[in-house]
Amino acid sequence: MSKENKKIIKEATIATTEHITRKYFFKECFSGMGAMALGSMLQGCDWLGNKDSFGNFTNTNPLMARAPHFIGKAKSVIYLHMAGAPSQLELFDFKPDLLKLDGQDCPQSLLEGKKFAFIRGVPKMLGPQAVFKQRGQSGAWISDNLPHLATVADEISFLKAVQTDQFNHGPAQLLMHTGSPRLGRPSIGAWVTYGLGSENSNLPGFVVLTSGGNNPDAGKSVWGSGFLPSVYQGVQCRNEGDPVLFLKDPAGIDRDLRKASIDAINEANQLTYNEFQDPEIIARMAQYEMAFKMQISVPDVMNINDEPAYIHEMYGTQPGKASFANNVLLARKLVEKGVRFVQLFDWGWDSHGTDGSTAVDIGLVNKCRNIDKPITALLLDLKQRGLLDETLVVWGGEFGRTPMQENRDGKSMPFKGRDHHTEAFTTWMAGGGIKQGSSFGETDEIGYSAISGKVTAHDMQATILNQLGFDHEKLTYTSQGRQFRLTDVHGRVINEIVA
Amino acid sequence: MERIINLFGHFHPLLVHLPIGILLFSILIHGLSYKERFASFVIIIPFTYLIGALAAILSCLSGLALSSQGEYDEQVLFYHQWLGISVALFSILGVYFTKKKKEKLLNWISITLLVLIFITGHLGGTLTHGEGYLTKSTSSEKIVKVKPIITMAQEAYLYADIIQPILEEKCYGCHSKIKQKGKLRLDTKEWILKGGEDGIIIHNGAALNSPLYKKIILDPVDEKHMPPKGKPQITEQERILLEWWINSGGYFDKKVKELTQPPSIAPILTKLEKNTIQPLTNNEVPVKEIQQANQNNINALTKWGVTILKVANNSNYLTANFITVAKTTDTIDNLIKNLGANIVWLKMPRMNFTSALATAISFCDSLTRLSIEHSSITDNQLNSFQNLKRIHYLNLVGTKITLKGLLQLKRLSNLNELYLGESNIINKDSILIQKTFPKAKIIFGNYRTENLPTDTMVVKVPPKK
Repeated sequence: MSKENKKIIKEATIATTEHITRKYFFKECFSGMGAMALGSMLQGCDWLGNKDSFGNFTNTNPLMARAPHFIGKAKSVIYLHMAGAPSQLELFDFKPDLLKLDGQDCPQSLLEGKKFAFIRGVPKMLGPQAVFKQRGQSGAWISDNLPHLATVADEISFLKAVQTDQFNHGPAQLLMHTGSPRLGRPSIGAWVTYGLGSENSNLPGFVVLTSGGNNPDAGKSVWGSGFLPSVYQGVQCRNEGDPVLFLKDPAGIDRDLRKASIDAINEANQLTYNEFQDPEIIARMAQYEMAFKMQISVPDVMNINDEPAYIHEMYGTQPGKASFANNVLLARKLVEKGVRFVQLFDWGWDSHGTDGSTAVDIGLVNKCRNIDKPITALLLDLKQRGLLDETLVVWGGEFGRTPMQENRDGKSMPFKGRDHHTEAFTTWMAGGGIKQGSSFGETDEIGYSAISGKVTAHDMQATILNQLGFDHEKLTYTSQGRQFRLTDVHGRVINEIVA
Repeated sequence: MERIINLFGHFHPLLVHLPIGILLFSILIHGLSYKERFASFVIIIPFTYLIGALAAILSCLSGLALSSQGEYDEQVLFYHQWLGISVALFSILGVYFTKKKKEKLLNWISITLLVLIFITGHLGGTLTHGEGYLTKSTSSEKIVKVKPIITMAQEAYLYADIIQPILEEKCYGCHSKIKQKGKLRLDTKEWILKGGEDGIIIHNGAALNSPLYKKIILDPVDEKHMPPKGKPQITEQERILLEWWINSGGYFDKKVKELTQPPSIAPILTKLEKNTIQPLTNNEVPVKEIQQANQNNINALTKWGVTILKVANNSNYLTANFITVAKTTDTIDNLIKNLGANIVWLKMPRMNFTSALATAISFCDSLTRLSIEHSSITDNQLNSFQNLKRIHYLNLVGTKITLKGLLQLKRLSNLNELYLGESNIINKDSILIQKTFPKAKIIFGNYRTENLPTDTMVVKVPPKK
């Protein structure tokens, strides 16, 4: 036995004997009483007052699979978020009338009382910078920027009149993913994992993959667990090098010793939990266990090298190179393995037109080429594997883009770009019990405001939960003295797109 | 005079407790008096028996007064009445024997009375609280009446599927086999047509002339309003349905689609469909309710690494996912067999199939979704599934199944989705497969995305002039 191990054993012995000394007893008496008093004073503060009102959080295994409220059609979700907000006017919302107004001053009626992120003074209207065609039997309008997606239009339900009340990226992304524009709420993936647990005990229930060179503006809070036990937060996997850092055993430690040390740590944690009942301890224990299992399962599932050549060709993936396409293929693999919620963020959709990479006729086209083939391949691949009807695929940004050309600081800009727009934008859903080839909601003739079928982030969240078998009003968690839910006090299931 | 008799009758439920208590107490004293310690009790036995007999007579009389008001199940009433009278007679005999000091005979009287009182009392309870009242509230498994599922309102029978459940929920409490207030029963077609003490209750085609409907639309404070104050009331939707039923002829055997539907009915019919469809999506789970599965079996399977749980909190059907299990053992096979009736969704991707496992699955006769993609299942093993007729989703992607093997399943007529990608079955046989499974959407997959020149082209910023 090495010198280090002897030292560890000695420390362990001291720690164990500590529990039975007189001094320790008095110390614990004191702090225990203190905690009790504090608990009663601070009821509703943090974990002292947190309560699981769904009856789901089990002390032994918080990630254990659980049944939903009613029978849901979808068993997992792949959420494709285009961080930065893609332009609906160049992708799905075809407005021929806007073309006629191209280059004209924006009418005052559209500007009065409105606030924009960057537009100042009177901007010019900007016609659609893409060629549109009607696709499939459903006749959905999809531009030539997405030629592959156009071939699967009949699988998709479009939401053409989504609205938000946040025109900055961070708050808008938080609203989309946590139901609140402010920090601190659990993300939708965390809610789903809290509600359903994980089907595969070797993998986390909620995995996050990012691409485009940056994390979303709202930071990691968009896949955080908020006030839910932190075991439900998204596990971010890197797309280059080791998917999860520090997952390998250090040199000289074999798997048996690793197991023995985790068992010892968890035994100590269990004693502490018995004493303080802090669910975060359970979360930590579960995460140790999960990490141990992930040492085997993650390298396997996160490896796309073994996929056949035709799959790589279909998705346009290149193993070893970080890309959105690789993430999409990984998403399919994860869902196939029983992961509940896979969240993809692709950064770089903020088409302001400040330079070529953010111009709606240059940078946006390139971004579209990066996602078009992989997303199409994902829908087709899920379908041929018999997984599409139990996997809900959601696509969208955090808001839309203006029908006016951005004039940052009141000056005309060298590239064609659009400002943030909250009043109408397009998202879509497919699979998981969603209608095939349908469209809900309409915008006015220039795509400025929604005129029918308005839906909000909360409505989309209610619908996603509904497809998984949850009543969004009943999936709650008590924190700080009141019950919280993903949709706050809002949300309506968009039955118009439910099959 | 009649009113006084009626009033006296209403005291029956109160008075009956006197003879029960007093006579049981007499019997107790009688029994105890055989012990030396309580031997002195003997002297009060005649007195308690006398009071008990008087109380019994009084309850009999009040009972007779009450029974003349009708409204009770005749058969139960008959037994209750005569047993009650015999209690009174036996207690009078008891008084007589105490007077004559015939101890042996008194013993027999006491024992008989004990039995009679319990039976009569129970029957009385049945009359007032309904059949099975003893076990109803204490039973741990509450029997919850399930409303018939209406998936297609137009195909539903108006009376059997829509009207009868309303009557059952709101009226049967007082107007069925248990009680017949106003001499009215509503639990079968014959009784409804017969009407109550005031004559027939339904004039076909005229709801407003039909007492059944008129009493429902009376002002709720009116004492003739039905259901009575304090009882669950007929909702607006139910009122419209009842009105429509009577106005359209009060048929007992017609389907919704055979009747003319006023505009007010259409939204209600769709609502009926929605109410029932929402929690149970299409054919994922059999409509028939099932008993809860044995928790020990579920726990055992969980221990083997199987994710097995209810498909939803409101259902006893199970979903089982073997994603982390590569191979089953005899124990696992047995557990699957034991849980067979409850399992509706079974996922076994990449499973190493054995014929024992295939046999175990053949016991899962509720199965609706079977995912065995990339598993090692053979044609022979697949044959075990030929009687799993509820299967509507079958995933055979990446298996070695051949056309011949698949056609063995020709009796699975509910097959809706059939996935055959990467298997030994080829596209050209699809016509034959479609013929065998006419309802199925057959997916061979093998999808490709086209290679477009634009896929790899990058749009660049035009050079400055």
